[in-house]
Amino acid sequence: MADAFSSSSETVIQRVVDVRVGQRHPVEELEELYQIKETCDFISEHQFKKVALQFPDELLVDAVAVALEIERNSNAKPFILGDTSYGSCCVDEVAAEHVGADCVVHYGSSCLSPSKRLPLMYVFERRPVDLEKCTSSFRELYPDTHSHIIILYDVNYVHAINDLMALLSPEYPNLVVSELVVEGEQCYSHGRIKRQHDDTCLSEEDNNQLINQFGRQFSLTSGSSITDYSMFYVGQEGATLTNFMMTWNRCSFCSFDPIKMTGRTESVSINRALMKRYYAIERAKDANVVGILVGTLGVSDYLKIIQQLKETIQGAGKKSYLFAMGKLNVPKLANFLEIDIFVLISCPENSLLDSSEFYKPVVTPFEMEVACNKKREWSEEYVTDFRHLLPGGQSYVPLADQQEEGDETDMSLITGALRSQNLMSSVPEVPSFGSSVVLRNQMLTMANTNSAASFLAERSWRGLEQNLGATPVVKAVEGRRGIAIAYEEEG
Amino acid sequence: MVNFTVDQIRAIMDKKSNIRNMSVIAHVDHGKSTLTDSLVSKAGIIASARAGETRFTDTRKDEQERCITIKSTAISLYYELAENDLAFIKQTKDGAGFLINLIDSPGHVDFSSEVTAALRVTDGALVVVDCVSGVCVQTETVLRQAIAERIKPVLMMNKMDRALLELQLQPEDLYQTFQRIVESVNVIIATYGEEDGPMGHLPVSPVIGTVGFGSGLHGWAFTLKQFAEMYAAKFAAKGNTQMSPDEHCKKVEDMMKKLWGDRYFDPATGKFYKSSNLPAGSKLPRTFVALVLDPIFKVFAAIMNFNKEETAKLLSKLEVKLDTEDKDKEGKPLLKAVMRRWLPAGEALLQMITIHLPSPVTAQKYRCEMLYEGPMDDECAMGIKNCDPKAPLMVYISKMVPTNDKGRFYAFGRVFSGSVSTGLKVRIMGPNYTPGKKEDLYLKPIQRTILMMGRYVEPIEDVPCGNIVGLVGVDQFLVKTGTITTFEHAHNMKVMKFSVSPVVRVAVEVKNPADLPKLVEGLKRLSKSDPMVQCIIEESGEHIVAGAGELHLEICLKDLEEDHACVPLKKSDPVVSYRETVSVESSVVCLSKSPNKHNRLFMKAAPFEEGLAEAIEKGDISPRQELKLRARYLADTHDWDVGEARKIWCFGPDGTGPNLLVDVTKGVQYLNEIKDSVVAGFQWAVKEGVLCEENMRAVRFNVHDVTLHTDAIHRGGGQIIPTARRCLYACQLTAEPKMMEPVYLVEIQCPGSAVGGIYGVLTRRRGHVFEEIAVAGTPMRVTKAFLPVMESFGFTADLRSHTGGQAFPQCVFDHWQILPGDPTDPASKPGIVVTDARKRKGLKEGVPLLENYLDKM
Repeated sequence: MADAFSSSSETVIQRVVDVRVGQRHPVEELEELYQIKETCDFISEHQFKKVALQFPDELLVDAVAVALEIERNSNAKPFILGDTSYGSCCVDEVAAEHVGADCVVHYGSSCLSPSKRLPLMYVFERRPVDLEKCTSSFRELYPDTHSHIIILYDVNYVHAINDLMALLSPEYPNLVVSELVVEGEQCYSHGRIKRQHDDTCLSEEDNNQLINQFGRQFSLTSGSSITDYSMFYVGQEGATLTNFMMTWNRCSFCSFDPIKMTGRTESVSINRALMKRYYAIERAKDANVVGILVGTLGVSDYLKIIQQLKETIQGAGKKSYLFAMGKLNVPKLANFLEIDIFVLISCPENSLLDSSEFYKPVVTPFEMEVACNKKREWSEEYVTDFRHLLPGGQSYVPLADQQEEGDETDMSLITGALRSQNLMSSVPEVPSFGSSVVLRNQMLTMANTNSAASFLAERSWRGLEQNLGATPVVKAVEGRRGIAIAYEEEG
Repeated sequence: MVNFTVDQIRAIMDKKSNIRNMSVIAHVDHGKSTLTDSLVSKAGIIASARAGETRFTDTRKDEQERCITIKSTAISLYYELAENDLAFIKQTKDGAGFLINLIDSPGHVDFSSEVTAALRVTDGALVVVDCVSGVCVQTETVLRQAIAERIKPVLMMNKMDRALLELQLQPEDLYQTFQRIVESVNVIIATYGEEDGPMGHLPVSPVIGTVGFGSGLHGWAFTLKQFAEMYAAKFAAKGNTQMSPDEHCKKVEDMMKKLWGDRYFDPATGKFYKSSNLPAGSKLPRTFVALVLDPIFKVFAAIMNFNKEETAKLLSKLEVKLDTEDKDKEGKPLLKAVMRRWLPAGEALLQMITIHLPSPVTAQKYRCEMLYEGPMDDECAMGIKNCDPKAPLMVYISKMVPTNDKGRFYAFGRVFSGSVSTGLKVRIMGPNYTPGKKEDLYLKPIQRTILMMGRYVEPIEDVPCGNIVGLVGVDQFLVKTGTITTFEHAHNMKVMKFSVSPVVRVAVEVKNPADLPKLVEGLKRLSKSDPMVQCIIEESGEHIVAGAGELHLEICLKDLEEDHACVPLKKSDPVVSYRETVSVESSVVCLSKSPNKHNRLFMKAAPFEEGLAEAIEKGDISPRQELKLRARYLADTHDWDVGEARKIWCFGPDGTGPNLLVDVTKGVQYLNEIKDSVVAGFQWAVKEGVLCEENMRAVRFNVHDVTLHTDAIHRGGGQIIPTARRCLYACQLTAEPKMMEPVYLVEIQCPGSAVGGIYGVLTRRRGHVFEEIAVAGTPMRVTKAFLPVMESFGFTADLRSHTGGQAFPQCVFDHWQILPGDPTDPASKPGIVVTDARKRKGLKEGVPLLENYLDKM
């Protein structure tokens, strides 16, 4: 009978999950690949007792071997964290806290979003790069040796960047390489990751402009702005590159794919992508009910942005609901028909979700702010990192005062109907004192609309239909057995 | 020469029986604006001498440059009828002064939405027909619209000067031409009008004085009334010179009957006959020829042959006195001066308008039921019917007119009931308003009321019902049109139906993405300023401007770039909007399983019966209709099973479109519970079809069976909506999907010698001719053809170059047509269309395979 409410436990065990599983590495390579020595040094230095090892799905094959190795070489008890609730690029501190871990070691690709709760160490995959091919395609893409170029790369190629620089910098005097820098004081630095102590993002240092974003740091020569530079990216196309391209949308991008061994100019017009995002903003303006999706529990300040979004959304006369549903998929979101749009709070790389398959679009906090906060204007700037939207962040814009807006109306180019910004928020405050009877002003009273109630009113089915008297009484008959996926009589 | 002031107008606005709201409608280039100028010159806003050259109502610079009207423009005129003429008016009247609110409208089909907006606020229409080219496609379109809106027409045969000077027609031929035009106009009226309807006698006839003849360019015109008066005085002068106005009227009306049709006149005896054959064997001329055309021909002949003596004789006979400056003129200028003096166009037309067109009092009685959505006995309906200035206010805003203040508009409309004044608190109701709800409703004061007069506006304190008005301060609460009232329980006035559709689209892009908000703001303004243009942002991020045709789009884009957005724009080549459809019933019953595999949907797609999609688009079948009525209609007209017809779940896309979801299941448990979810999936799927995410059209989806999980938690929207969409896509793919393209009806007028060129051009563009007729009495031929909109870009230029510039086409959207070929084959024509559309929208290459949607048992 329990099967009626959930699938049987057997099917769960037998379910095949579609994951690209890598080849298991021989034990002798593990030391090198997973930097076990450095990891053990890190653990013993801080005398951690419980260590959480967070693996992405594709590296899980090696997890047991790595854990055993660490246990052998240190006094700590390792725990393996797999199947992270959100993107595997983010540190899953909540899962680590379940076992009461003292620190987290994060393996594989990372978005380098800062997290605050636990000491943290990053171990990146050391993916191979053919430097010969890389430099030659670089020369092809930038024939002018005096061009200003910033080199960005996927974290898994960080080990090769020094060698690449050594090959290129003699020829290209204006080359700038980015370094990996993670904010937060508890982040253990190793390799090229440096600990950064001051939180300011832009600082003057030897007249050079220091830019620090997405865990990357690079300095521009004084007097030049980022738009004077071209970007060269080492790594495959994916969320990381898209994120860079959206943020520095005025720069031209080229990339080298170490797997395909090809370099190319990123021709995908970023204008197109921005226009698509602008469409999402227009949808957000149309929306009456917003769902805030919590897509991270790791990135610091996520609670602050939730609070700020709630206020912004309410200020615009919309209603908001908060959802925590782990990894997103189409059926999960489609369960909430009354929600007009979702806003996803997540690390910068996972924020830019292509929502065309979803029943309702999913936007970023920045886009929601553009839609709701009149003072924030759409300009060249595109912010993927929600922390910049917070007070003190580099793109913070205070919420527009409702009072001064008046009753502006606006037309939607999607529905072709008028949308009024402030209608729903202008519910008059109920005077708390006095109970004198006031004549109802027929001309000016309007029924309060309650979005959820009006949605229910539109539904054709609103709950159990009794059809009293209309349904003939029948004796109980035996129905089908099993579940819809395979009824018993169907075999 | 200003012979009226705002104060005078305000005074006569109260005399609602003496108001005439009228529009001037015609085919392009038949001379509406020129003719309007002669009316305006009569009312005295511009000097008489410049009438015919100024195009007063063309207020925009490009209108004057191109000599084409783009926007409809309103002006108010003031005219006083002589006491004798007042007797001709058969409806109630109130003094001799008349206020005429005249709207000049564009003739080009691309702008016919402007005509629709103009017709809504007027009660009568002056239909102008070029007597050389006759009744054209646009004449028919606008006339049909006028009749449907219950607008009373009067006819004006324009460009008589061309008939006389260029074509050198003989009087009898000219009469035949006139007779034919009157007949074809009456055929249209009879086809679309109701016989013995509430509007009374509709057909136009020279005999009753509802047909005028003349030349707008030369500034002269007459109706039979003018000549009848002349001859009535001549024939009956002896004896009783002092007739009462009524007797005079009777006499003139009798005389008018003698001046048209098969009536003949013997100049020798001065007698009228009903047959042209005298007993003596000689042929008699028609009265119209002998008494009306003959004098005109004589004047033309005398002046154009520079026969001064003859001219002088004629002038004295006609009692025409020329100004000193005109006396020195010769040839055409003299001809103009003489004709203008003898038969002033303003006089004749204004008489025709005031005598024969209805006042708001007359018209609103029978127009109310066509205008108002609410019950015919509520306060508003009564106010409209009685044209009562004391009743609740009812104003219909038919369009927005840009002000000098960027981004702001005057709301242009007509007061049907009550009166509107500055500062009045009103309810502004958009087209989506339903009584009792607050959607699309705003309560705001009117900032200012104004009078719109061509290029100028005049502030006015208040405007009572029956008049046309401009309102300041309501523009931002309406998208394009709407109803303004003071009555809480008022329903909307009916929305206008346009005869054209926005089928041609252009994608616009800003060069710098930081300018996107400016573009969006500009698009909003553009969309407001034109009754029909559609500005849309698509999911791909493209900004689309959709219009009726190339010219319409060209004007819109120019306005967008220069006036509204003010940023440089990149424009794509025009593209056509397509529709996805199916050609047969799905080959199998399609099954899709929900993501949790616990629910199954079984459906099939089938094409509509012929005419059903059109019926839905026309509104004959609508989601709001009463269920049983609709089922009956479907069964009777489209051979549906009544039982199934009663189980239509919904229309789509947007709840109103021409696709249907029908429940044909038998006894399925919990079905009601998932209906909303399936409907949501249906709306999604028919809006973005599987081929290239274009709207679907004319597809019926049948839900055959559904198996659902017994526990409600496993059959929520999240499981059903995506599944319904997948299942519908599977249905579409198994039913031989097809692409539909829009097709224009093209009417081309050109001399017979150039017809060959037309055929060549049409054939190359997949067009096909279905009718070709000669315009009797002229060498012109009219060719009617169907031409895919896709092939119409550059058609006009192409046609002109192949016919030596002699052919002039008019394209108007007619229907959707299946593009033959398999859209899933990338080499076929529809395949190319699909590939292009997918590329433009940034979708994956190639139509998705059936396996993505169809599940196995």
